[in-house]
Amino acid sequence: MMYEKVGPARFISHLDLLRTFGRAARRAGLPLAFTQGFNPHPKITFAAPLAVGISGEAEFADLELTEKIPAPFVARALSDALPEGLRVLEVRQLKGAGPALMAMVRSASYRVEAKTCGPVTAGELKDALGSFLSRQEILVERKNNEGKKVLYDLRPGIFVMSGRLDNDIIKIEAELKTGSSGNVRIEEVLEAFLKSSRLPVQGGYALFRNNLYTVAGKEKKMLWQT
Amino acid sequence: MLFFGYNILYIVLKYLVIYVKVMEGKTELDFLEQILPLVKKPARYAGGEWNAVRKDWETVEYRVAFAFPDVYEVGMSHLGLQILYDIVNRRSDTLMERVFAPWTDMEEKMREGGLPLFALESRRPLLDFDMVAFTLQYEMSFSNVLNMLDLAGIPRDSGRRTDGFPLIVAGGPCAYNPEPLADFIDVFVIGEGEEAIGELLDVLIKLKRQNVSRQELLFESARLPGVYVPSLYRVFYHEGGRFSRIVPSLDGVPERITKRVVRNLDSAPFPERPIVPSTEVVHDRIMLEVFRGCTRGCRFCQAGILYRPVRERKPETVLKQAAGLVQSTGYEEISLTSLSTSDYSQVRKVVKSLLDKHACQGLGVSLPSLRADNFSVELAKEVQRVRRSSLTFAPEAGTQRLRDVINKGVKDEDLIEATGAAFREGWKAVKLYFMIGLPTETDEDLDGIVRLARAVLTLGRKAGVPRGRLRVTISASSFVPKAHTAFQWEPQTPLAELQRKQDYLSERLKEKGIVFNYHDAGLSFLEAAFARGDRRLGAVLARAVDLGCRFDGWSEHFQLDRWLEAFRLTGLDPEDYANHRYAYDEPLPWGHIDTGVSRQYLVREHQLAMAGLVTGDCRTESCPGCGVCTTLEVEPVFAGGD
Repeated sequence: MMYEKVGPARFISHLDLLRTFGRAARRAGLPLAFTQGFNPHPKITFAAPLAVGISGEAEFADLELTEKIPAPFVARALSDALPEGLRVLEVRQLKGAGPALMAMVRSASYRVEAKTCGPVTAGELKDALGSFLSRQEILVERKNNEGKKVLYDLRPGIFVMSGRLDNDIIKIEAELKTGSSGNVRIEEVLEAFLKSSRLPVQGGYALFRNNLYTVAGKEKKMLWQT
Repeated sequence: MLFFGYNILYIVLKYLVIYVKVMEGKTELDFLEQILPLVKKPARYAGGEWNAVRKDWETVEYRVAFAFPDVYEVGMSHLGLQILYDIVNRRSDTLMERVFAPWTDMEEKMREGGLPLFALESRRPLLDFDMVAFTLQYEMSFSNVLNMLDLAGIPRDSGRRTDGFPLIVAGGPCAYNPEPLADFIDVFVIGEGEEAIGELLDVLIKLKRQNVSRQELLFESARLPGVYVPSLYRVFYHEGGRFSRIVPSLDGVPERITKRVVRNLDSAPFPERPIVPSTEVVHDRIMLEVFRGCTRGCRFCQAGILYRPVRERKPETVLKQAAGLVQSTGYEEISLTSLSTSDYSQVRKVVKSLLDKHACQGLGVSLPSLRADNFSVELAKEVQRVRRSSLTFAPEAGTQRLRDVINKGVKDEDLIEATGAAFREGWKAVKLYFMIGLPTETDEDLDGIVRLARAVLTLGRKAGVPRGRLRVTISASSFVPKAHTAFQWEPQTPLAELQRKQDYLSERLKEKGIVFNYHDAGLSFLEAAFARGDRRLGAVLARAVDLGCRFDGWSEHFQLDRWLEAFRLTGLDPEDYANHRYAYDEPLPWGHIDTGVSRQYLVREHQLAMAGLVTGDCRTESCPGCGVCTTLEVEPVFAGGD
């Protein structure tokens, strides 16, 4: 299933999203498969968790039903039962148990919109991006499992990053390493960039994840195309 | 020319579309959107939940914001909100939106950026509404009421609110002693709101059309049954400082305000499409009310008086509504709510039918609390067919003597039998709720709690519950005398003595397998002051909020010192309220509010309590003559059956 998570729905946490889809499926009358045990939960697996607050424009999840139901019907019924900001874009039926979605994801593309609070020229933005990306390593602090601070290098995980000016809004596009073999978060990249570039941006910005990619052979592919 | 006209139109349309798109894009970057990612649980403020109603602002005549003076997760667990939201939004001429107390991190951001308190649906500031309606579920949320008015930019004092400001309304159980909030609330609605809200709205809409002054609007509201407009009354105090009397200051304003009660609960408006929060809330399930009121007559219990008489709903109605709710909400659990659900005449039948019909959809049924004297293992097993919930009993007191004083008819044997059966059936944890500081309590009664806890623990061991998993949780809250109950004249046990009692239990409940919980006695002390407070406490409240008090029900925010400072600055003593014993003939600050239960009945109940004598259940025994049915011309309703 490919879905969108925007507007007020982008504040739904990962755990709440599972519940939300489970309830939507029940409202839609879809026979969702449940896990066994004292607290059964619906069998839904998400391709890559999306941090609270980021709009997801093409998110992916697998869901398991107990009956065979035509994919377009599932898409429409589920979409109609979702709260504001969540919408199913397309459903495709898996042929047999394929590889886990989560293990397939390699990268994700993002869009950032940040309001400037002072004059910036297109040239300045270009130079700032150039010098940011030319760095050998971009170290940020992360907490490891024991809660200790460790340094992590973002640079290898930034595959593409570009930007342009749209009046007083800086728009940045980036493709970042995502998935179980390593994860670079857009907020980390953005903070590191704004810190080093000293561009005049006031606090908040809007973040969008517009796609997830995998690798098939040597080719990068949309998660959907495999 | 035609082409030219077409072109102009086309260009205008095109720019309109671009303009709208730009505006849409901008909303992501507006101030609220910028702060939401920076606060904890932003879903609290985002709105857009399933079944939330966003009505067109311009097509209605009257706009109400329902204000819950606690955080979103607590407020969204409140059935009353869903009921009123449904009633007001069903009308074509009105709308209702929701607002909750922003958590302190959000409040900080809002104050920093000058963002006024807004309603979730339209995100409009509360100042844009015609009415802001608070529900008062708990005395210690009063500070949040004032703080929310502050955040909305609405003057706290009703006298300072001129014509353009929203009407500030309040209802709920704490409205039965409205005086501590009398300075700040324009209109109190006493009792059940299902019918009263419509009548009030009809009057207010009519007056809005006539563009009348605020004063006239208040006067007209005060003439409605169940409505109390505190600014139209004068309060007198004795020289020594105690409350003396309260009288209307205008002709046509009633001396006494009698609560509203819904006669036929079966046909009362009922939310078929309640809002389903997108983030987990306290009661994250369908709440289906099976009856209102309670026949037990526990003498400490305010709800037991306020919601009289008992009115059960027909099992057919409950089952039909349940089916609709499962479909409209998609919830995985349904809770049959009431003050004492195991008393519902048809509880077995309803639980069984619900599970037979819906268990295959993964639906579980839960019962909020069970009575040890009508506990049935069969029922509890039915309930856990899908999900195993913990078992909770509320014996309230440790000895039979004290349970007779409070008229809690449960016996030691009942509890032993019920918990024993539960352990044998596989439950590993039970919770027991007690109160400390009840009238006439001695250390022997506390020893009784310890004895019961150990007896239940032993039962668990005997039943073979593994030692590591066996748990008996003892929860002890401090008794707070409440207005309109048989114990309304009783003083609260002094704070230091409550703390001693807590320590006494704590030392004796250190056994492995027993968990002892108790609440901050300082909080119960203030709750007692406000529960029986008079109008002068408004000044204390205002001071306390200025000193930073809010979210007092949350232990991480409650600070007794600040409250004591607020009392000191106002020249009042909380002990004069919390620890005062009222004489039967002494005027009570809530005496003008009429629950329909007679004063004579309460006096008699108090005397019986002191004599350690019990009063029968009006469901199974003769009528104890509380007077509610005759006064309010209403009948108890039972659904019959087993």
